[in-house]
Amino acid sequence: MKQDPKAELRVISRTEPPASKLNDSIVVLTAGGAVLCALVFAVALPLGGPLPLYGGALSLGLLLFGVAIRRYFTDRFPDIEAIELREIPDPDHADEPLSDVEALGPRRSFLKRALIASGALFGIGIAAPPIASLGPAPGGTLLRTAWRPGVRLVTNEGLPVKPDDLAMGGIASIWPQDAIGQERSSVLLLRLTTPPVAPTNLDWVVDNVVAYSKVCTHAGCPVALYREQDDALFCPCHQSTFDPSRGAVPTFGPAARALPQLPLGLDDQGYLVALDDFQAQVGPAFD
Amino acid sequence: MTPLFSLLFDTLDARLKLRGPSRKVANKVFPHNWSFLLGEVALFSLVVLVATGIFLTMFYRPSTEATVYNGSYELYQGAQLPAAFESILRLSHDVPGGLLFRRIHRGASHLFIAASVLHMLRILLTGAFRRPREVNYHLGIGLITFAFVAGFTGYSLPYDSLAGTGIRIAYSELLSLPLIGDRVAFWIFGGDFPTGDVIPRFFVFHVLVVPGLIIAMVSLHLALVARQRHTQFPVRGVDGHKFILGKPLWPAQFAESATLVLWMAGLLTAAAVFIPWSDVALLGPYVPGEVGNNAQPDWFMFWIDGALRIFPPLEFSVFGLLTVSGPFVAGILLPGFVFTALAAYPFAERRRYGLRGDWHVLTNPLEIPLRAGFMLGIWSFVLLLSAAATSDILSRLTGVSIENVLWFFRITCVLLPPLLGLAINRYAKRRLARHSRTVARSEQEAQVAAASTEVAAGSKPKQPAQAPGSAP
Repeated sequence: MKQDPKAELRVISRTEPPASKLNDSIVVLTAGGAVLCALVFAVALPLGGPLPLYGGALSLGLLLFGVAIRRYFTDRFPDIEAIELREIPDPDHADEPLSDVEALGPRRSFLKRALIASGALFGIGIAAPPIASLGPAPGGTLLRTAWRPGVRLVTNEGLPVKPDDLAMGGIASIWPQDAIGQERSSVLLLRLTTPPVAPTNLDWVVDNVVAYSKVCTHAGCPVALYREQDDALFCPCHQSTFDPSRGAVPTFGPAARALPQLPLGLDDQGYLVALDDFQAQVGPAFD
Repeated sequence: MTPLFSLLFDTLDARLKLRGPSRKVANKVFPHNWSFLLGEVALFSLVVLVATGIFLTMFYRPSTEATVYNGSYELYQGAQLPAAFESILRLSHDVPGGLLFRRIHRGASHLFIAASVLHMLRILLTGAFRRPREVNYHLGIGLITFAFVAGFTGYSLPYDSLAGTGIRIAYSELLSLPLIGDRVAFWIFGGDFPTGDVIPRFFVFHVLVVPGLIIAMVSLHLALVARQRHTQFPVRGVDGHKFILGKPLWPAQFAESATLVLWMAGLLTAAAVFIPWSDVALLGPYVPGEVGNNAQPDWFMFWIDGALRIFPPLEFSVFGLLTVSGPFVAGILLPGFVFTALAAYPFAERRRYGLRGDWHVLTNPLEIPLRAGFMLGIWSFVLLLSAAATSDILSRLTGVSIENVLWFFRITCVLLPPLLGLAINRYAKRRLARHSRTVARSEQEAQVAAASTEVAAGSKPKQPAQAPGSAP
């Protein structure tokens, strides 16, 4: 058979491990142990055995089989160090043509350019519409929420709320009636222990009860935590802090805008209702 | 060779002419160093991820529709849950082995990303990115980016409370893109958050688009390594510019890789037995408007989360046309800057020192002052930002107020990385000056310099260009 001299391994050192009966036993024992583990795994898993049992068996089996392979190769093969020549790129071939067929006649670079340009336009033309189909046009979606004049404030369970339902210093998570779970409409209702001051809009405060958007103006997390020691609203995601007694202006952290205040009033049955939608942008900045 | 294998091989060889190529592959020489295993660990994690992932896909339901759980996990019996969360509960508590494979998948995802990042660190520190390997280095940066996307979408799929919060922040990040934010966000989410499309789309990204891209890019990555050969650490008396010294693929490298994949799978399984790291049952399903304490993303997103936390309030409109906000600067521009800096670094180093020719021998980063400074600067920046993502936990543990913790990170993130970078840069320059050396401009120059240092240090002089076995 013809031998390719380039394919030959250039060995520079070769050490043969001494024959070892012990090693043969290790290979057999670890490989056998791995099979035993696989057996435990195969029986315990379908029977609904405990996870540590079949998980442990699988783990041990994999580790043992690794040992078996390692011992087999170290004992049955010589340890070889070899050397290989790097193929240095050949600069002499830089002007070799890429292919052997060329276009006919005199060069028409205009044709080539026209083809490339129309190809690009064609590609954009057929790729853009499917992308636009992926979602509706935003329009004014992000400028509105589900709050309308007269919409009642309800709890997670859908129950309407009266100011007295909240204890002094109490806080509740609120939705518009008929839009429970509509994330951007979520509201925090607070009954402050002291009357709020500007920039809170006092016309929208009922009995010290004030409502703010729950969507953080930084990155949109729910401003879900109320820190009692300093009466602060606190976002657990990035630690934006707002002062509910002063129009929920940001007092610390990365938020740049106050939480919008919901115009709050009472209906004729004494339940809290919205007088209108939020008058400021809800949630994080967009476009 | 066993008779069966010979028969099979000969049958194929007669038709495909395999003998020559297979011998060439078997004789391919692999240089040895423990740090060369990092890329291999990443590769084998990917294998484990695909294998376990296929099993998980059989049970997962990509939907947020309300579904009643009727399985054996008592806490949620009869409860209405998002279908995704419900299917994860069933998979974990009612399918034999389901929880084990979920945990292995999760553990392998951590290992995949960690090993990829460490592999990149090794490439950067030792200079394996230098010409002619810039293309493969950039391919690697692309791979890490997609690994992050795979990790984030996978973290989102259970639709537990943390996942939902993470998706909400990702949505806000898309919204923050000036001018086009709301459109792009609506394209990806199918409308205003939370739409019913998010989870099905994230599922397609996670199980089809992203892994497809990763597997294609990994194949190309490996093909380029095979084509361009490995770099290697300097070996005395061997001209590493012309020769590769190491062990052949068969049997040494094969044995090592086979052992590595088995031990890695074994350790990942052991970790899955002991660490409940994918048990989302106690987190509860995502409910819009709710979030608990300790709202942290996965560790590999810490640096971006930390940047969002410490970046000062910022939001302004440009001519009423577009809005620039903190989440855009800290969550998109800043990571973009870090990735651009990493991608651009090979060119910066080549320009700064006027480097010429190809480089195959790895160097100590202290030999290249610019590299030492850049690496310490940028990685200390990323690590400090990552630490800032634990500000709430640090504040609770130490009793220092959250405001002070955040101010600490605001100051250190701005001051420390440039100071550290400059300090090590000066140290490296002095170190070179002490040995009266300059940065070598070509690999041959570097080898001559290394040889003369050895002579100066009193070791036996050796011819650097003489390689044993090189004569035909």
